[in-house]
Amino acid sequence: MAGLFPKWTNALPTVTAMLVLGGLVTTVAGVWYYFTPKFWEVGYMPAQPGSGFNHQLHAGKLGIDCRYCHTKIEESPEANIPNVATCMGCHAENRLDTKFVKDAKVQFIRDAYAKNASIEWRRVHKLPDYVRNFPHHVHLKAGVSCYSCHGQIMGMPEVYQAQSLSMGWCLECHRNPEQHLVPPEDVTKLTWVEQELKDRASGRSSVDVEALVASLRREPPQYCGACHH
Amino acid sequence: MSAIHPDQPLERVVAPDDVGDGSLVEDPAVRPPLVLNNRSFGELTEIVCGYAENPYPDKRLLLLLGLAALCAGVGGLMILYLIITGVGVWGLTNQVDWAWDITNFVFWIGIGHAGTLISAILCLFKQKWRTAVNRSAEAMTIFAVICAGLFPAIHVGRIWFIWMVFPLPNSNAIWPNFRSPLLWDVFAVSTYFTVSLLFWYMGLIPDMASLRDRAHRRLLGARRRGDKPALPDLIRAYVFGALSAGWRFSSRHWHRYEVAYLILAGISTPLVLSVHSIVSFDFATSVTPGWHTTIFPPYFVAGAIFGGFAMVLFLLVPARELYPNMKDILTLRHLENMAKILLVTGMMVGFAYSMEFFIAWYSGNEYESWVFAHNRAIPIWLSEDGAPYWWAYWTMIFCNVLSPQIFWKRKFRTNPLAIWIVALLVTIGMWFERFVIIVTSLHRAFIPGEWHMFYPTPVDILTFVGSCGIFLTLFLLFMRFLPIFAIAELKAVTPQAHRHHHDDEEAH
Repeated sequence: MAGLFPKWTNALPTVTAMLVLGGLVTTVAGVWYYFTPKFWEVGYMPAQPGSGFNHQLHAGKLGIDCRYCHTKIEESPEANIPNVATCMGCHAENRLDTKFVKDAKVQFIRDAYAKNASIEWRRVHKLPDYVRNFPHHVHLKAGVSCYSCHGQIMGMPEVYQAQSLSMGWCLECHRNPEQHLVPPEDVTKLTWVEQELKDRASGRSSVDVEALVASLRREPPQYCGACHH
Repeated sequence: MSAIHPDQPLERVVAPDDVGDGSLVEDPAVRPPLVLNNRSFGELTEIVCGYAENPYPDKRLLLLLGLAALCAGVGGLMILYLIITGVGVWGLTNQVDWAWDITNFVFWIGIGHAGTLISAILCLFKQKWRTAVNRSAEAMTIFAVICAGLFPAIHVGRIWFIWMVFPLPNSNAIWPNFRSPLLWDVFAVSTYFTVSLLFWYMGLIPDMASLRDRAHRRLLGARRRGDKPALPDLIRAYVFGALSAGWRFSSRHWHRYEVAYLILAGISTPLVLSVHSIVSFDFATSVTPGWHTTIFPPYFVAGAIFGGFAMVLFLLVPARELYPNMKDILTLRHLENMAKILLVTGMMVGFAYSMEFFIAWYSGNEYESWVFAHNRAIPIWLSEDGAPYWWAYWTMIFCNVLSPQIFWKRKFRTNPLAIWIVALLVTIGMWFERFVIIVTSLHRAFIPGEWHMFYPTPVDILTFVGSCGIFLTLFLLFMRFLPIFAIAELKAVTPQAHRHHHDDEEAH
């Protein structure tokens, strides 16, 4: 019947369909890109107490091994944070030349030590509760370097989250471990590992990857109960 | 041998005695009318559009709508409570981890199948009597699938993770288990809903265009007289105008409509069989005794059509009384036909019930026979090893197998009250069938130390009542505001639409 709707409404179905389609594509693309740990969590760098801890200086320039501070990493699921006494081993008064270490900069360590208190370092790499028992020792013994999950710590003045830590990211390595395994004795040589993994990606590996994969005590598990339990 | 001489004229063997309202003619030489009282095309349009346009609907209908809406509201609150608190508000236990939720799901999804059967299979088989019920049965299908979809969605507990049932790429790199019938269910039910909705909507387009044109004509009349336009007509004109998508009743429109109708009927036909088969896989593919049977798919499909037709009759027999002139369109013959379907499908499920026992014995599987005998059939007061749920089993047998047997008598299949009572019993029986399958199989599984009874909580009960309320509210709103018959199809099956019809046929 003429006169109920003006003529321009003939365009409405087409316009609506296009808007709906466009909206749908935008929503899917938006969720795909933005609603991910890769977008929200990579780069997380909480401010640390005191003057912080410079991994680039300690682990990188001074060459202190990761295990000097994270002592239990090879036998414990938890990558422990060192207690204040470990810091005091070097930073007690008159131990180091003040030319290199300014007193003011490390005063918070000495204060904590004097008060018998902890320094409240803030956790950078957070996993959901149901996978909090992530076994660091198992991964190290299998030959997964710190570098694979934490990035080039030796180059970080302040530590930030380098990888997404999403489940899909875990599974990528569990499905193709040959992209990440290094000899277990070399896992903390982060600069070497970085070079090796980059070389491996371009096909110039200096280690026998097949032997490393063969030496694994088990296939990297992919069933739910392996991590969620 | 024949006693009849070839030259001797045959006597009429079928006596034209009891023709009920005029539709129950058994004489094969007479075409039984599908629309009574010699209604003209114009009258049919008036009757059907009148239901949707009546400014003063029956008070009893409004009362019923209020009651249904109240139930739906209570159900909504229960669902909210469940989502806030967790599935622990239901009576589920570690042993009986599916109970009323999945019972209700299977119950509602089964109800929908009558609509699809009527609109698709009966259409392809050119069963003209379907025109009296197809629109309302299709509406019922959609509302039942809405109620059905509700239960699996809320029974997951954390409904905000419901997106995980769809295979969406995500940063957890997890996919639904494609080998699980629970996932097939998601696809089966959502396909079913989409196709049913399209089918229903497409059928509605010409009739909504009629309502639009009638409202528009009244608006033009009001403008000519200088009256204020009536608000309901304004709403009708614009809402139905938008929904009827520019339908102008042109021959080309009708031609494409017929083609699209056939295509959709073709798409829907396999759905009648596939959806409930897949629902039955939820049970049949698990190794629980009582579920692990190959008869489940056909048995579930027969049960679904059985329960669906019972629901159609349960709703339309009272509607026939409440709506003026509806008895001219929904005749006793229609009711009789559906009563016959109830009888046939009722015996099919009865056959399936007995076959379960036979196979349990024939296969020599002692767990299976235990479930059928000691979890279901043998009353606990007869034997120490008897079933505490014997009453549920025998309610099912009484309602589904015994009660439709009265339809062997023509007197009962043409009596609306008898049909309505049987339809009610069958609806109850079909709910109990799902309860028996799910709960009695689960409550006593392999380890006797884990045997538990299932006790529904008030939330269980009120959620089910709520789903009935949602269903009835939607259906009553449909009965109030939309054309409840496919007007054009109705006109095509009137006696005067037949090519051999003459106005003076009465004189012959």
